[in-house]
Amino acid sequence: MVFVALPLVAAFGLSLFHWDLLGTPEFAGLDNFKQLVSDTATIRAVINTFVFALASVVTHIGIGMLLALGVHRTMTRGTKYFVRTAFFFPFLVSWAAVALLWKYVLDPTFGLVAHYLSTTTNWLASPTWALPTLIVVDWWHTIGYTFIILLAGLQTVPAQLHEAARVDGANGWWRFWSVTLPVMSPTIFFATVITFIGAFQIFDPMVIMTQGGPDGATRSIVQYTYEKGFQSFEVGYAATLSLVLFLVIMLVTGLQFRLSRRWVHQ
Amino acid sequence: MRGKLLDLVLVLGGLVMIAPLVWLVVNALSEPINAFQLPPQWIPRPPTLQNFQQVPDLIPFAQMAWNSLQIAVITTAGALFTSALAAYAFNRLRFPGRDQIFSVLLAALVVPVQLTVVPIFIMMRWLHLVDTTVAIWLPALVNVFGIFFLRQYISSIPRELDEAAIMDGAGHFWILFRVILPLARPGLTALGIFVFEASWNNFFWPYIFLSSPEKMTLPVGLVSLQGAVGGGPAVVLFAAITLVVLPILVLFLIFQRSFIASIASTGLRA
Repeated sequence: MVFVALPLVAAFGLSLFHWDLLGTPEFAGLDNFKQLVSDTATIRAVINTFVFALASVVTHIGIGMLLALGVHRTMTRGTKYFVRTAFFFPFLVSWAAVALLWKYVLDPTFGLVAHYLSTTTNWLASPTWALPTLIVVDWWHTIGYTFIILLAGLQTVPAQLHEAARVDGANGWWRFWSVTLPVMSPTIFFATVITFIGAFQIFDPMVIMTQGGPDGATRSIVQYTYEKGFQSFEVGYAATLSLVLFLVIMLVTGLQFRLSRRWVHQ
Repeated sequence: MRGKLLDLVLVLGGLVMIAPLVWLVVNALSEPINAFQLPPQWIPRPPTLQNFQQVPDLIPFAQMAWNSLQIAVITTAGALFTSALAAYAFNRLRFPGRDQIFSVLLAALVVPVQLTVVPIFIMMRWLHLVDTTVAIWLPALVNVFGIFFLRQYISSIPRELDEAAIMDGAGHFWILFRVILPLARPGLTALGIFVFEASWNNFFWPYIFLSSPEKMTLPVGLVSLQGAVGGGPAVVLFAAITLVVLPILVLFLIFQRSFIASIASTGLRA
């Protein structure tokens, strides 16, 4: 309670003050909220975060599902072991190590990407490419998680249902639509919600790889909160920003639960 | 035939996935002059360990590894203990407001840590705990997700077992530690691996609270090394990253089943 409820109330309280952590807090009323609406950097960070979250969810669920289906089929044990290990392992490596390594992988002069794609694009320094590049790096790091969740879900699909559908003459694609997807829908829903919540809180790769740049192109809400709270010591404003993040997550999660009634089978 | 083709695509995809990690190890094992060559080398020629020897010159690596381990062990033990107690209380005991408190707890699951970090920072500063490892593990001792997860697990254990123990005059602690928890071992293991992994890899929290190199955890230490390397050889940074990644890889290859089972069953992203 001390570390969840109290800080939550404190965050609401702090959002009403101007404070630099040193002097006495000064009551600000709704100043912080007014600043929020007129601060273009905030709006940019919110948009970046949404773009990142949407792209993450689509690629994680889509590619994760293809991978899970691919691995779930009959394969030799060695192949299955290799593919599962290769795709899952990066998830266990800390973001710090992943982000530092990928800075070099993406280096325009001696990096792997530059060599094999024969480009000299400086991915992380380009206002157009920086955010999509981070989405790809996030995908590399986190796909293993989605993949394992979906693979576990696939294993719960009863084989008899597939058999029955096969006897009724359903082809592979139709069996996927009418048997696999409905049975999997709670798992897919769960993975979607969790991926969204995780993506909205993204911080590590931005701080380590781009510092939010170039020119704010990759700055996320959490990173902006960090900059305001712990670099320029506008604690009240940082608290206000974190409330925005909280509201966004609550709204999107609530919306997902509402929409889920239409497609998730209980 | 089509199956073979798909296998081939998946294996190629797997190779692309591990390529950056192989490249990491190859460069870490190369002398600066032979590293980062184009086309990329996949075998270090000749391999050398000199980069690994230089890591401690730049950051107190062993100390950082020890800090990470200490925090992860305390966090895991604490979270398992408090989660077990709370999960038992929420599932087996009856007290006024129980279900209401539990739903408040559930709501706390979506509260991002970022919302609480500013107030907790102020609290820690007031307690003079900023830049100590205590600031990292203290808030992590109670794990809302752990309570929720273990409660689900415990609710599947038949109540007849505790009723029999009560007949024999057992108290709540006896029932929890002698009856329930031994049966909940797979759940405890899964949660333990999950909490340990999340703590070991955590960057956000230590990055904000720790500033002295000798207090830092490995993820923060690595990132600070990035600045220290500056114009120096990147191969030393690669050696340091390799030292972080290799133990996890070895552990993963040995305990692959438990790792995957813990992620699949707890199913929450760190």
